[in-house]
This record gives sequence, C-alpha cells and structure tokens, in this order.
Amino acid sequence: MKALLVCEYREGKLLDASYELIAFADQLGVTKAAVLIGSEAAAPQFDGTVYLAEAASLGEYNPSAHKTAILAAAEKEQPDYIIFSHSSYGWDTAPRVAAALKIGQVTEIVAITDSGFEVGCCNAKMRRSVKPVTAQSVLTIQAGAFTAVQPAGTPRIEKLVVSADSKGVSFSGYEPAEAKDVDLTKADIIVSAGRGVGKKENIPVIAALAKALGGELGASRPVVDAGWVEHSHQVGTTGQTVSPKLYVACGISGAIQHLAGMKKSDFVVAINKDKDAPIGEVADVLVVADVLQFVPALTAQLQK
Amino acid sequence: MKILTCIKQVADMESRFKPAGGDGLWFDENDLAWRMNEYDEYAVEQAVQLKEQLGNEPELTVLSIGPDRVVEAIKKALAMGADRAVHIQDSAAHQKDPWQIASIIATYAKSKGFDLIFTGMQSQDRGSAQVGVLVAELLGLACATTLVGFSYADGQINAKRELEGGLKGVVSLQLPALVTCQLGLNVPRYPTLPNIMKAKKKEIEAIPVDRLLAEQPLSPTTSFYSPARKGGGITLEGEVADLVPKLIAILKEKTTVVR
Amino acid sequence: MQPITRELYWNVGHGVVLPMYLLVAVAFGLLVWGIWQRSGYWRQGKPLNRFDHYDERVRRMFSEALGQERVFRVRDGGIYHALFFWSFLVLFIGTLLVMLQADLITPLLQVNLLQGEFYKAFSLVLDLAGLAAIVMLAGLFIRRFIIQPKGLETTNDDYRVHALLFAVLISGFLIEGARMAATELMQNPGLAIYSPVGLLVAKIMASLSPASLMITHKILWWLHFVLVLGFIASLPYTKLKHILLVAANAFFAPLEEKGAIATINMEDEAAEQFGSATAGDLTWKDRFDADACISCKRCQDVCPAYATDKPLSPMKLIKQIGEAAEAGMETSLVATIGEDAIWSCTTCRACQDICPANNEHVNKILELRRNLTLMEGSFSGDEVRTAVGNLEVNSNPFGMAFAARGDWANGLNIARANEGEPADILYFVGCYASFDKRNQEIAKSFVTICAAAGIKVGVLGKDEKCCGEPARKLGNEYLYQMLAQENIETLKATGIQKIVTTCPHCFNTLSRDYKDLGLEIETEHYTTYLNRLIRDGKLKLDKGEPQTCTYHDSCYLGRYKDIVTEPRAILNAAGWQIREMDRSGYDSFCCSAGGGRILAEEKLGSRINVERVKQAETTAAGILVSNCPFCLTMFEDGIKTGGYEKTVKVRDLAEVIVERIGGANR
Repeated sequence: MKALLVCEYREGKLLDASYELIAFADQLGVTKAAVLIGSEAAAPQFDGTVYLAEAASLGEYNPSAHKTAILAAAEKEQPDYIIFSHSSYGWDTAPRVAAALKIGQVTEIVAITDSGFEVGCCNAKMRRSVKPVTAQSVLTIQAGAFTAVQPAGTPRIEKLVVSADSKGVSFSGYEPAEAKDVDLTKADIIVSAGRGVGKKENIPVIAALAKALGGELGASRPVVDAGWVEHSHQVGTTGQTVSPKLYVACGISGAIQHLAGMKKSDFVVAINKDKDAPIGEVADVLVVADVLQFVPALTAQLQK
Repeated sequence: MKILTCIKQVADMESRFKPAGGDGLWFDENDLAWRMNEYDEYAVEQAVQLKEQLGNEPELTVLSIGPDRVVEAIKKALAMGADRAVHIQDSAAHQKDPWQIASIIATYAKSKGFDLIFTGMQSQDRGSAQVGVLVAELLGLACATTLVGFSYADGQINAKRELEGGLKGVVSLQLPALVTCQLGLNVPRYPTLPNIMKAKKKEIEAIPVDRLLAEQPLSPTTSFYSPARKGGGITLEGEVADLVPKLIAILKEKTTVVR
Repeated sequence: MQPITRELYWNVGHGVVLPMYLLVAVAFGLLVWGIWQRSGYWRQGKPLNRFDHYDERVRRMFSEALGQERVFRVRDGGIYHALFFWSFLVLFIGTLLVMLQADLITPLLQVNLLQGEFYKAFSLVLDLAGLAAIVMLAGLFIRRFIIQPKGLETTNDDYRVHALLFAVLISGFLIEGARMAATELMQNPGLAIYSPVGLLVAKIMASLSPASLMITHKILWWLHFVLVLGFIASLPYTKLKHILLVAANAFFAPLEEKGAIATINMEDEAAEQFGSATAGDLTWKDRFDADACISCKRCQDVCPAYATDKPLSPMKLIKQIGEAAEAGMETSLVATIGEDAIWSCTTCRACQDICPANNEHVNKILELRRNLTLMEGSFSGDEVRTAVGNLEVNSNPFGMAFAARGDWANGLNIARANEGEPADILYFVGCYASFDKRNQEIAKSFVTICAAAGIKVGVLGKDEKCCGEPARKLGNEYLYQMLAQENIETLKATGIQKIVTTCPHCFNTLSRDYKDLGLEIETEHYTTYLNRLIRDGKLKLDKGEPQTCTYHDSCYLGRYKDIVTEPRAILNAAGWQIREMDRSGYDSFCCSAGGGRILAEEKLGSRINVERVKQAETTAAGILVSNCPFCLTMFEDGIKTGGYEKTVKVRDLAEVIVERIGGANR
C-alpha cells in the first residue's frame, strides 16, 4: 500500500510535523512519497520521491493551486492514502482533495486500530473508529499523536508544473503573533497556582514549571484576588474557561468555580497536600505532595 | 444579497456519553443537554453583522439538519438576527458522514444563488472539519477556513485565518464564497427579548432529508466507545524524588505534550 | 382669685380673626396648589396601583408618621428628629385647640375648656414641648452644621429651614414672654409657674414698659403668624415637604411581600420595552420617591457596595432618577446612573429596609437591569454571560451536565420524587448544594437531620433546575420564567404538599415569586422547618459541650423573610452560644452574592465578603455560622483571601446541628 504525504511549508521552511507524517506512514506499514508546495531546499529528508511545486510561484497559501498540485502528485503516485497533518493548512486543504477525488476523509487520527482509524470525538471524551469505503482515502493526523522520526535519507525530487490560478482566494502574507495579554483559552498547556502555593513570592516556582513544559501560567481566583498573579491568568467561572491538552493544578483545592473553568482539559494533574481535595475528582493524576517541594523537583527534571 | 449560515445542534460537551443501544455507533441521546455548535455561533454572528453592515438589505437564511430538537438551535439563530430558516428533517443525521451532509446542503443551496455561506470550522461532537470545505467545493465557491478576522467591502472579503502559534494568515476572497469560522472571530450577541419574540414568527421551512440526499457515506463509523481511562484517576504518594519520574513517565505515555 | 385661664387674642384683639383665617386659607391654598403642580410631574410616570386596601394604607401611614419608628431606628439624628417631631406636633395641637376654643367653642357653646386644671396642664405641656423642640432642633443643627457627619449633604435649603424653624419656635416663646410680662407676672404669678419657659422670658422682658410690651407683643404675634404662613405656603418648595411626602409614601408603600417584583407577561405581543431605559419608563412612584427622599443618607450608610468603594450609592440613585425625570422623558437612565453602579447592587435590601421615607430602591435597579439584559443583551461581565449560557443549556450556572445534578444523593436513603416515589417533604436542593463539594455537605447534613426526625425526604434529582433567581435578579426575566415554568411543572407532577429548601434564594423564589407563575405548594426554609420539629419534639438535640459562634443573618432570610429568631433558637437548643456581630439581625451586612452577583466577579473597590469575615473575626467567636450556600461560599472565599484561616471557620447551621442530633433520634 502507498501513501502520499502532504508536507507543509511556511515562511520559507519545512514544518517539523512533516516527520510525524513519515512516522505515521511507517506505523501504517506503507511505502511513502511526499508532495510539498515549497522549495527544493526544504524538501523532507527521507528515502522516497518528493513531488515539488514552487511556493514562490503558487504562494504558501493558495488552496486551489495546492489542491491541483497534490492531485497531480496523486495522479502520478496512485496512493491508497493521502495524508495531511491536522493543522490550519491540513484541514483547509484535505477536504478539497477528498472532494475532487470523491473519496472518504478521516480527520485527526490518534491511533491505528483493527477496525479502522481511531479519532477523538465529543471533546475527546469518546473515540470513534472510521474506515473509508473508497479505495483511496484522505487522512489527517493529530499533531503530536505520532512521534516524529529523525530526518534521514535523501529524497528524489520530481518537479510539478501547476497553474497558479487561485480561484478567487488571494493570500497577502502573515501577521505575527501579538505580544500578549495572556490568552489561556488557546493554550495547550497550563500550569495553575492556587492558595496552596502559600505566598506571592512562590509564584515564580509555578511559572518556572509552566515554562519548562512550554505552557502558560494560570491561577485560581483567591490567588488573583490576593494580588499574587495578574487577573488575565485567572482560570474559573469568573476568569477564563480553558481546554488545554494538559492542565497542572498546583495547590488548588478544586472549588467548583475553578473546576468549571478547567474541566474541559484533556489531561489533569493535581498537586496537593490534601488527598481528599475536590480537585482529585477531576484529576487524571493526583500527586499528594507539598507543592513547594514537588514542583521545583519536577521542573528541574524536565529541564534536563 | 443572499447569505446562508449552516448550523448544527450538538450535545453539550459536559454531558456523560455512552454508546447507544442498537448499532452503538453513536451516543445515547437520553439525559443530554443540547446547544448550538459553538463554532456556528460565531458564524451566525458574523452573518448577522454583515447583514447589519449592509443596511439589512441581505436576506439571511439559517439551515440545520436533524430531528425536531434542532429547531431550538434554529430559533436561537433567528433570534440573533437571521430572517428565515430551513430545517432539513432527518432523525438519522448522526449516522451520515461529512460527505453526505455536505451533499445535502449543496443540493439545497445549488439553485438558490447564495452569495456568501458561513459555517463553523468544525463541530464539537464529531469534529471532522470537512463539511464547510466540501460544500464550497461542491458549489464551486472560493473558500478559506479558520477565520478569526472578517471584513467585507464591494464584493470582497478581507479575512484573517488563525494559524499555529498565534500567527495569522491574511487572505481575501471574491464573492461568491464560503468561509468557516473559528472561535473568537467576534462576540456572538445575546438575543434581546424583542428579538426572541420576533423570531417566533419567522418562517422555518421544513424539508424531509430524502428530497435532498443522494449520496452514500464514504467514511462510515465502524465503532464508537469510551477511551481506556487515561491514568484512571491515579493517586501518587510517596517521596518527591520517586514521584517526579513517575509523573513524567505518565505524562509521556498519556499526553502528547511532553516529549 | 384670678381665673386660671388666659385671654385669647389678648392685645391683638378679635379683629385679627378674619384677616388671619383669610391669610391662612391663602397659605393653605398655596400649599395645595404647590403640591398639585408637582403632582403633574409625578403623574407623567407610568401607572401603578398603590391605592388599594385603603384602610390598611391609612393605618400604616398614621402609625408610621406618629410613631416615628423608622426615624429613631438610627439613633444618630433619629432621636433628635423624633422628639422634635412630637414636640412640634404637641405645639401644633395646642395652637389648634386655642383656635378651636376662640373661634368655635366659645362663640357657639359659650364654654371655656382652656381653664382650671386642664389649662395648667395645657400650659405646662406646651412649654415643655416648645423647650424640647428648641433643644432637639439645636441638636439637629449641631449635628448637621458642626459635627458634619461624613456623606451628609447640606444645601441652602437646610440653612433656610433651620432658620425658619428656630424663628418660629423662638418667636413663640417671645410672644408668650411678652404676654406674661404684661399680665400673669404681676396679676397671676401662681399660674405663671405652669409656663416655666415663658416665665423666664417674661422676667427678662419685665423691664420694658407695659406700652412697649404690648407693641412688642403685637409685632411678635404678626411676625410669628407670617413665619407660620411662610412655613405652610413654602412647604412644597423646601425640605419640609417631607412632612407630607414621607407620610404619603408610608401610604403608598407596597403591600406585597418583601422582595416581590413585577412578573413580566411574556405573552404580551404588544410589549416593546422591557425594564427601564429612559425616564419615560419610570412609574409615578419612582418620581415620587425622588421627591420623598430627604437625603438622610441612611441607605448609603448601610449599603455594602458603597462601603467597599463601588460607584453605587442608593441615595444618589434615587436622586439621579428624579434628575433624569426632570431632564425629560427621553433621558437615558443608564447614562445618568452608570452601568457599574447598576450592576454593583447585591439586592441586600438594607437600603430599603432602613429608609425612613419608605423609598423603594431595589426594584428600580432591577428594572434598570431588565432593560440592560433584555433589550440590550448586556452583561456586567463575560463571566456572567457564560453562567447564563450554562443556565440555558444545563439549567445550572456551572455548566455541569444536568444529568449529574442528583448524584450527590447517591447512596443516601432519599426518595426520587421526580419518579413518583412518595416522601414527606420535597427537598429543593439548589445548584450549589447539588454541585459544589463544600455545599453538598449541607445537603447531606439536612437529609441526615430529617432522617433522625423520621422525615422521609424526596428530591427531584436531575429534573430539578436552577430556581432562576440569580438570572432574574440580573434582569433576565425570560430565562427565569423558562426555568420557573419547568420547575413548577415538575414540582406539581410529584404531588408533594410541602417543599423545604436549604437555600434562602430558592426559598424566596419558590415561596413568593413562583406564586405568580402558578405554584401553590407551601415552601419553607429549613431553619423554620427544623425549629418546628424541635419545638414539636420530633427532633431532639443534645446540648453537648457548650460552644460559641457568631451568627450571620443572610439578607434573604433576615430582611426579606423576617427569619431572625428561629435559627438562633435552634443554635441555643443545640447548646451553642452566640456572640453577635454589631451588624446582625435586620442590620446584617451582606456577603456580596445576592442580586445575581454570585455569578459575577467583584472587580471594583474592596471585597464585601472579606469585610464581613473581618466583622466576624472581631467577635473572637472563632466559628461563623451561616444559613445560605452563597454566604457559605463567599465566606470560605473571604477567609482565604483575607488570610483568616487561623481565626475564623465558617459552617452552615445544618452542619452544626447534624453533630448534635440527640438520644433516641441517633
């Protein structure tokens, strides 16, 4: 079986998620070819064919031209699977390819199972297995669900010539991210401080953990009220409602107003001296320990 | 101008889900609270704002597929400012795949001459993020997804797409077009009471789905289940020095964010 | 022997009678005309029926006006005013008696009542009243102009009124003195003692010649007369109009249960405006209240929002509504008052409760909020919007799955009333006791207590919805009615005859507001319910080790429902001693969560809940007992935020009682 991996190119560079596509294809046990609308220098490093169209002429975002390029590569490769990352590029482009070929698409795959591809649904509370009935299918895979392989090998580049016709959509460039004002609602990782942290001087301990995990600092209301953390970090019914992939609650007891703001988190770790703290009810892992002892140790370990 | 907004009624995500009896391929609908798909609220709001910007000249239609309970969500869209509604009656909407849903909408919209279609970028229950783009492809409309910025002037949409890491992509589209909306695109209005009362009188055209459906599913669901309980609420106790590596191991295993 | 009486119209002569009565008629005519003029302004407001149950209203008006109870509830200034009022009233009656005697009784009946022992008493009482009036007026004067209590506004009108009243009283004594100097002092000294103040003045004036005395007396008499006419005619235009308006407001006071708000008719398709947006939406009573307000600032002094630097002052609100009305029907009320002020109110009712003029502050704010919510879709903050959305989808403000609402009761011996299982009482649990871990303890305690008393408790489980009160108090009448209708239907279907709740907000809503929507089932708060069980011997409590606490009267139980003694009786029955806070009972200080504010964040000023916890700490009782889930939540929060963990612990009454279940009940 064959897969055509659609790699992503942004601001002149190949995105690392392309190597997750390779990992997925390997797990699927299929031969791989790739297509990239980018530049030759950015072609993914693996032993296989890379169909290349120039982003310089088509543009980094040009859905109809990208679709045409991918279809051209697919015409040549005749893959069983056309695989995208489930990214702002992937979910924008994949259905166009699926519609053109009138084939099934499976979105945001997290695992491969016997009954099909496993995807999350209902806010990741449930799982579905989906199995396309068409001979070919389009797949998008969840970011981070399949560990990226190391770049290894040299691709064979095959150039595509594609019309740049953008069919009514034109791209004028990127707008950089704003210096924030914390927007916790879009954070993937949040580490929150509660009263158990003790005093304002201890907040940096929690912030350090947030940084080590690559996440944002959150806070429960009493902490914000006491002036230890600025209001934009507040999580809860009177703060921000968040849904990160990982939520670490440090010294937070779990009053309902706080729970209501973070219960949509995918995975919750609670660190609390109190084994019976209400937050234990929603935590996937409850670490019964003194926040001020455990968190620095955890941070130190992560930084290694 | 004619505008269409497609909305979906979904179960509230706080509910507890369990596979339904019968084929068990979707959840049991008992004891569930329902609401408009959150992404679609932004779609409705943007459509209403556009209508207001153009002096209320455009006619805004809201469409939804499903059993009778979806009329609640339709009424909310009408109360937010849509002029009329189309309810495609389908008691088995949850069994259809994105391709079928998109084809139903495209068949309905084909001859109506909509200049602009708004949808949410994905649904909270299934999250396939396909229907909007599929409809655009079926109808031959310019399309961009994941909008967090929208403005309109003289037949052209100027929009911002939300990319990863806070980056935004600046795009423009020529009408006729379809856009899918991301959370935070605007602030969906809270319907005022006079508008709620007016909405009760607005037309809801009911169309049985059989009149519009001609497609078979391309990617059907083969099973539906609860995930193996992630860490099942473990409690870790002991020495800090032991707990740290234990926790890291769990995070690596159970989440995708620690590598 | 000199007759024990005095010559009426001495020195001025009976010739004054006709011009006097004519001028008095003119003065009263001006008074009536002034009021009539002003009534045109009141009548521009929307109609409101405050003329029903006439006899009850009249009784209340006289009892409040004459009894001055509301006035001396606040000692500072209140004592002075009450005594001043009564003294002035006595003087007025005295003058009236003289007039009646001179111009009616003497000519028609040829009988003199003002003589002998009665006259002696009459003279003495009037003199003492006059003295008291002057002393009290001096007290009021010193308070306002010298002590200058913070927040008391003094205007030119105050100067004029004080001057006028002093002038009237002092000139009265001067007239008496002049008369007595010319008559009694020499002719009837035995009688003079019965007018001690007059006697003093007379002695001072004694050096004047009889001719001077008589001229002085005549001048003073006319001066006094003119001053009194001025008093009457200028009444509608000075602060003194409160004499009529405050009395009238006691007549116009609402007869409905405390806290009743108009239930909007959702079926009325013609309705275009909900709530108050402009001055044109105000009722005549709103305009009248602004005029009846005497700026005494008592409402402001007890307002928890004002005390913690929010932009809300109940007094200012009343006045601003009047100002907006005077500025024109189109005047925006929100622009005049400010959204922050409107949202800051916790509906604790302290303002309305203490207002001597019977002004209605709270419902004005609710009508303003109705406009903001129902007409503009505006909220005090995003967090409120979220909570309201949660109420719409899952019938609780937390957004927890409604199907889990009854889970707290898993494993307990409770009837599922929503499935028809029989029970003695329907326990309406409320959102907090259902979902919040801390408050679930109260629900469980209550059930345990009932079981000990042999009461079978039934609940609605997942079919119970938020009673809708916070949404209603934030102005969302539509959402409230939707939730209410569904609850009423569910409750009726159970066939239950009695509802008990542990939340004062649910209690108020189900026992009072739901009546408008068709619920007739008797609803009680658990404090009165348990109190009766104890009294009837069904629930026995062990006194156990004596313990001390301080007790917080929640606004919705105390001021709204007059339930102040029963919870204390229960605590005593359980062997608890109460060390009261300064602000307790009807003077209780709000926890900050009323008025729907349990859903909102407190962003302005300092924290009301921390302030109350501080007040509890001052009693050194160690334990703060409350009776409301909102109060409990606010105090747990306040203890943490204020750092009072070591000195204050808060517990609900149910938690305290469940530990003391005694003897055979155990």
